[in-house]
Amino acid sequence: MDIGFIYNYLIASERLGIWIAAVLTLAIYSFLYKDNPIYRFAESLLVGLSVGFLLVVTFETTILPKALEPVAADFGRVFVKGQFGMIGSFIWVLVPLVLGLLMFARFLPGAGWISRISLALYIGFGAGASIPANMQSYILSQIDGTVRPFLTINNLLATVNAIIILAGLISTLFYFYFSKAHTGAFGMAARLGTFYLMIFFGATFGYTVMARISLLIGRLTFLLRDWLGVIS
Amino acid sequence: MDFWDKIRHLDRRVIFILMVLGVGIPLVTRIGLPIRITPDVRRVYDFIEGLNPGEIILVSYDHDTGTLPEMIPMSDAILRHAFSKDLKIVGMALRAEGSGIGRQNIRRIAGEFGKEEGIDFVFLGYRPELTATILGLGSSIGRVFPKDDRGFLIEKLPLMQKVLNYGDIDLVISISDDDTPVYWINYANARFQAKIVPAVTAVMATTFFPFLNSHQAIGMVAGLKGAAEYEKLIGISGSAGRGMDAQSIAHLVVIGFIAVGNLAYFLGRKK
Repeated sequence: MDIGFIYNYLIASERLGIWIAAVLTLAIYSFLYKDNPIYRFAESLLVGLSVGFLLVVTFETTILPKALEPVAADFGRVFVKGQFGMIGSFIWVLVPLVLGLLMFARFLPGAGWISRISLALYIGFGAGASIPANMQSYILSQIDGTVRPFLTINNLLATVNAIIILAGLISTLFYFYFSKAHTGAFGMAARLGTFYLMIFFGATFGYTVMARISLLIGRLTFLLRDWLGVIS
Repeated sequence: MDFWDKIRHLDRRVIFILMVLGVGIPLVTRIGLPIRITPDVRRVYDFIEGLNPGEIILVSYDHDTGTLPEMIPMSDAILRHAFSKDLKIVGMALRAEGSGIGRQNIRRIAGEFGKEEGIDFVFLGYRPELTATILGLGSSIGRVFPKDDRGFLIEKLPLMQKVLNYGDIDLVISISDDDTPVYWINYANARFQAKIVPAVTAVMATTFFPFLNSHQAIGMVAGLKGAAEYEKLIGISGSAGRGMDAQSIAHLVVIGFIAVGNLAYFLGRKK
C-alpha cells in the first residue's frame, strides 16, 4: 500500500479524533449556559464509555487470566489428560472462583444468605490487612513524626514548627473529645483546635480551586493548541 | 438598581466568561511568571537524582482520564528525569483507565530517549483490588502480574528477571487523583519499607502533608504547580510551566471576585 496514503489516513484519523473530542468538550461546557440535550448526550456517552472500558479491561486483565484460564487449564489436565496429581492445583484455583461466584447469590430470591460466606471472608481479609497497617501509618508513625523533632532540635525554626504541629495535634484532639463540656481551659484548647481545622479546610479549598482551574487549563490548551492551532 | 445591586445579582455566566478569558489569554500570550521550587518537590527530584543508572522505579497510574491535565505533565517530567539518568521503569495501574494512559505515556517518553521495552521499561497492566495487589507485589511481582500488558511472560523479560518484589525497587511513585497513595504507604511502606512518592492532584495534596512530616513519603508532587516545579528542576519548558501562567491569573480573577462579592454584600447590608 502507498506510504503516502497510509500517512494521510493516519493524519485524517487523528484530525477526526481531535474534532470529536473538541465537539464533546464544547457539548459538556454548554451546561454552563444551561442544561440541554447535547450536554446530557455527552454526559451519558462518557458514563457508558467509562463503564464499558472498565468491564472490558477487568475481563481481559483479571477475570480471564486469573480465573477462567487457570481453571480451564487445570480442568483439562485433570479430567481430560488424566493427570490426577494436579487435583490440588485445580482446587486451589477453583475455590476462589466459586467464592467469587457466590457473591452473585444475592440476586437469587431466598439464596442471598450464601453470599455472606464470601463477604465474611472478604471483610475478614480487609480488616486483618488494614487494622495493623492503619495503626502503623496513622497512629504510630504520626506520633513518631510529631514527637521526634523535639528529640533532634538543631535550630529555632524547626523548634517553632514542631511546637505548632504539637499544639495543633493536641488542640484538635480536644475539639473532638465530646465527653466533657467545652468550657474553661479545655474549651479554649478546643477553640484553638477549631482554628487549626479552619486553616486545614481553607488550604484544602485553595488546593481544590487550583485543581479545578488546572482541568480548565487542560481543556483550553487542547482546544487552542490541538484543535484550533492558536498556540504552539 | 445601583451598581452594587447589579454586582450582587450578576449573571453567573459572566463569571464563567471572565474565568475563561483569565485562563485563555495567558495561554496564548505566555507571560512567564516565576515558579518557586518547594521542598516537597525538591526532595523527590533529589532522591531520583541520587539513584544510579540501572536502578528501578515503579510508576503506578492510579487515576482516571478526568484528571489528565494534572497527571500527564507530572508523569512526563518524572519519566524524562528517570530515563535521562538511565533508570529502569516498571509501570502498572490500579485504575482501569490508568492502564491505557500509563501504557501510552511510558512508551511515548521512552521513545524520546530510544529506550527498549522489556529491557529499559515494562508496563505490567491493570489489577483491581488495591490492598491485595499492593501486598502481593511485596512477595512476588510475577504472581500478581504473570504477563506484561502485551501478553509476554514477565520471567522472559530481561528487566523483570532482576525484579522480584519491593526489595528490588528503589522508589514507588503513585500518580493518583484519589487516596490510593495512602494504600501504598499503608501496605508497601509500613510493611515492606518501600519508599513512596505521592504524585497527586492538588485536591489531594493536604491529605498527604502528615505523611511528609512523618517521613512516610519521600516527598510529593502535587497538581499542575508540582509538575511545573519538576519541569523547572529538570530544565525543560513543558505544558505545566505554561499552564502556571494561566493558573496564577485565574487565581487573581477568583480573588477579585471574592473581594468584589464581599464588598457588594457589606455595602448592600448597610442600606
